[in-house]
Amino acid sequence: MKETALVVCPGRGTYNAAELGYFAKHHSDKPDLLAVVEGARDETRQPTISELDGAASFKMSRHGTGDNASALIYACALGDFLAIDRERFDIVAVTGNSMGWYLALACAGALSHRNGAELVNSMGTLMHNEGEGGQIVYPVVDENWRPDPAKEALVQQMLAASSESQFIATSIRLGGLHVFAADRAGLSYLSKHLPPVDDRYPMRLVHHAAFHSALLTPIIKKARANLPQSIFEAGQIPMVDGRGMVWMPQAFDLGALYRYTLGHQIDQTFDFSAAIDVAVKEFAPDRIIVLGPGSTLGAPVAQQLIRMNWRGLTGKQDFKAQQATSPFILSMGIDEQRARVVATA
Amino acid sequence: MFDRAAAIDDAFIRRVKARDLPESNAGALADAGLSNADLVALFDTQLMSRHLDLMARRTKGKTYYSIGSAGHEAMAAVARAVRPDDMAFLHYRDAGFVIERRKAVPGASVLYDMALSFAASADDPVSGGRHKVLGGKDIMVPPQTSTIASHLPKAMGAAHSIGLSCQGTRTLSRSSIVVCSFGDASANHSTAQGAINAACWAGYQGSPMPILFVCEDNDIGISVPTPGGWIEANFRSRPGLHYVAGDGTDLIDTYATAKRAADHVRRARKPAFLHLKTIRLMGHAGADVEAGYRRLREIEAVEARDPLLKTAGQLVAFDILSPDEINARYEAMRARVMRVAEAAFTRPKLATAEAVKASIIPPKHRDRNFPPAPQHTKKRPPDADKSVPMSRHINRALDEILAQIPEALLFGEDVGRKGGVYGVTQGLRARFGPARVMDTLLDEQSILGIAIGAAHNGFLPIPEIQFLAYVHNAEDQLRGEAATLSFFSDGQFTNPMVVRIAGLGYQKGFGGHFHNDNALAVFRDIPGLILACPSSGRDAARMLREAVRLAYEEGRVVVFLEPIALYNTVDLESTGDKRWAETYVPAIDDTPINIGEPGITGPGDDVTIFSYGNGIYLSHQAASSLQNEDNIKVRIVDLRWLVPLNVEGIVAEAQKARALLIVDECRRSGSVSEAIMTHLFEAGISVPTKRINAEDSFIPLGTAATITLPSRDQIVAAVRTLDEAAS
Repeated sequence: MKETALVVCPGRGTYNAAELGYFAKHHSDKPDLLAVVEGARDETRQPTISELDGAASFKMSRHGTGDNASALIYACALGDFLAIDRERFDIVAVTGNSMGWYLALACAGALSHRNGAELVNSMGTLMHNEGEGGQIVYPVVDENWRPDPAKEALVQQMLAASSESQFIATSIRLGGLHVFAADRAGLSYLSKHLPPVDDRYPMRLVHHAAFHSALLTPIIKKARANLPQSIFEAGQIPMVDGRGMVWMPQAFDLGALYRYTLGHQIDQTFDFSAAIDVAVKEFAPDRIIVLGPGSTLGAPVAQQLIRMNWRGLTGKQDFKAQQATSPFILSMGIDEQRARVVATA
Repeated sequence: MFDRAAAIDDAFIRRVKARDLPESNAGALADAGLSNADLVALFDTQLMSRHLDLMARRTKGKTYYSIGSAGHEAMAAVARAVRPDDMAFLHYRDAGFVIERRKAVPGASVLYDMALSFAASADDPVSGGRHKVLGGKDIMVPPQTSTIASHLPKAMGAAHSIGLSCQGTRTLSRSSIVVCSFGDASANHSTAQGAINAACWAGYQGSPMPILFVCEDNDIGISVPTPGGWIEANFRSRPGLHYVAGDGTDLIDTYATAKRAADHVRRARKPAFLHLKTIRLMGHAGADVEAGYRRLREIEAVEARDPLLKTAGQLVAFDILSPDEINARYEAMRARVMRVAEAAFTRPKLATAEAVKASIIPPKHRDRNFPPAPQHTKKRPPDADKSVPMSRHINRALDEILAQIPEALLFGEDVGRKGGVYGVTQGLRARFGPARVMDTLLDEQSILGIAIGAAHNGFLPIPEIQFLAYVHNAEDQLRGEAATLSFFSDGQFTNPMVVRIAGLGYQKGFGGHFHNDNALAVFRDIPGLILACPSSGRDAARMLREAVRLAYEEGRVVVFLEPIALYNTVDLESTGDKRWAETYVPAIDDTPINIGEPGITGPGDDVTIFSYGNGIYLSHQAASSLQNEDNIKVRIVDLRWLVPLNVEGIVAEAQKARALLIVDECRRSGSVSEAIMTHLFEAGISVPTKRINAEDSFIPLGTAATITLPSRDQIVAAVRTLDEAAS
């Protein structure tokens, strides 16, 4: 009997130095997919996915910019999705983080692979050229991945410091991480007032704009001008969006999906935690498959599961123990877990 | 043969596969204003509801509730036909409505929460594992258990409150309506009839009453058939009520008729009655074997009209989904529901009595702070410096409360124009207007229903029940509805109110049971309810303010019992002594009386008297003669708050006493005196103790009216005996 799986699509920041060559390594058998993604790129001014993925070294200034990073991640993640062994896994729902929503749309069939690539490339370019502000990540859990009320209170304090002269908002609720969106003044306020944690946080995300916040409202109009509603389709797999809303195939208004994707999703908080909460409760999958590239999204998923006390998880230790015996989360960016997901030749 | 769940389940798959489906009216979908995607979405809701029912039938021991919604799934279309902010008070077969509405709430888990509810898990976000309820704060559905029609009065009350002006905060917008659904059998219940009558009473005279009654007529109430055509004959021609009928097994027709009816209600602000012909599948509940009272042929004929098959027929006929796609969707939902349910079954249950009781009293973190007492008015009332009796104190206190709290409403029979049968509310309608001080129709269930419903809408209702005896026919509105709301909603919903009731005996020159009733037992065992009973005018005002604060700030349901005989009593021992009258002290100058705080008077420690209401008045009369004639000094403890009793305070006073007398004007059986005796015994109090009660009798008329009640002389005699025993 097939296992049921929830597929989680990654967002920006998941293709880093360690992922260089990811597409070539895992998806050399998918030239058609590559062609589709390359086809959406402007060859006169954008490097190809193959060039980026096959570069001798990873350069943040090249690989990390909006249009390049988005397209790379799109190609790798969609390749991973296609590599899932469908004889063993019945995919009951898809969701994603931030840009991962575009991937979820493509995985679910609400966008063709080509239209998904167009959307990703178009939005990546818009963000690169016109995205305002930036993002700062800060943990809201303790070392055992349990909710830390003091840090949560601190986050609320930071949000309350938003004013006319400095903009601070919630960009993403990302499991145990809180992602702030802020303008320059806000970013500097956050960097100054958030006490350091683990020598990593507060972490400024390079080349990221103030995604999912009001600073990006002007982008909506341009995004809609670039992309017509007609690219959206009725889908084949249930999707869970960044508010924790379920979109059942053939049961939604395409206009509503268009308005959400190129509207709320752009300038309002992306609640990835709610997406995981709803997807897990409403579809109760046997496994959660986190698509590559990278594996950084596994921790936020686990942290949300701990917050929900799902399958009795109370902290990082439980989670690690569970992962060691029968992993509930299968990250395709981790080779040994990937092996449990893909079809064996 | 008798596993009807399996038969219905199999028949769906078989008939879809064979395209053996009901005919569909081409064009109906577009005419109704629904899209193809809308129909698929509504079908999904039907599937969720159906598979939850099938799951509940197949998981006995893991789920604890099997009254299903099968056959009524098209109620999903009613949810679509009204606005999400239209408050809905629902029939227990309306999972379809709840699911459809909750699907539109971001971040809400629909199936999982339902499964938690079926499994009575403490994680259930609606009731906290206390009951399988349909409802939720996020969907504007106050949770309802499987009650029979007791939710209709409050639905009517909520609808009535929409039209009232309010300067304070309110929950429902002025353009919203209220939806209230119930079954055909429940429609016969006097509670339903009373509420519908009250709605018609308002609609008939043009008062705003935007309520959509939805009667889900499945032809049967457990095993008793509803006479053919009865619901239509009963409700088609009611004055003030707009009647609309639809096919409740057909999503599209249900949507179209519900939309029409709801639009009428919204536009006309008048009640409508949506009569939906539904069917009941799988019997009344899990334990009900339908074959015991219905022939198999009949059962099968009903099952053949399965509303899911109707929708499947439409989806195929309109080329929206193929039979294979429909069956795949059906099976995928079955598997999904089972997975979700299995996950829900692992969640914790309520494990301790404390956890169960935690939501009887709502949590204190409410968003309302009690407004400051009103400032002195420039124009002083003419009786400001006069000693006045209790009725004037209550009148002045109500006046201040209405000025202080913009959400406060005063209503009941004769409280408006007449100012109350005892004049307690005189002048208030003139001052605050008919939208805040209202006369109601003569129906206590409706009065309390208006209170509960208006409280749901953010008002602070102060209903009046004209006489204590009249509350008994409406008791369930307090016991089953108002008092249980916080409990069944895990403290998320409250219906704060102060129910003023005039009661108790000793009315001079009058009498008779119904105007002198002295039975409080009805209030004594309702968890969470507060019962206050003042004995003097100033206490009445101070306690009334505390009662209103408890309701406003803490969401409590308070009964404020006013002793009629003391309303206009000014003298204690002799005519003109005015020892039972006081000048009114405005709230801003007065000290509060907190809940549970007793009134302790009298210097003596010879004998301590516990009493309340008229008993306090009589005890003070007795105390004078005891001191003068016997030199016995008594201490009088006015309990003031009868439910919950301040047991610690009572025991502490008892421990100081040489002897104890309990004077209780209510009956020897079932009165507060019984509880006090028990507590004294449990606390090991061993001083001589007696109680004086009313006889276990009803109250007669005329000169015999007080014969069965405690008297001053009885108190004097009892104290003498006790004093002697203690010496």
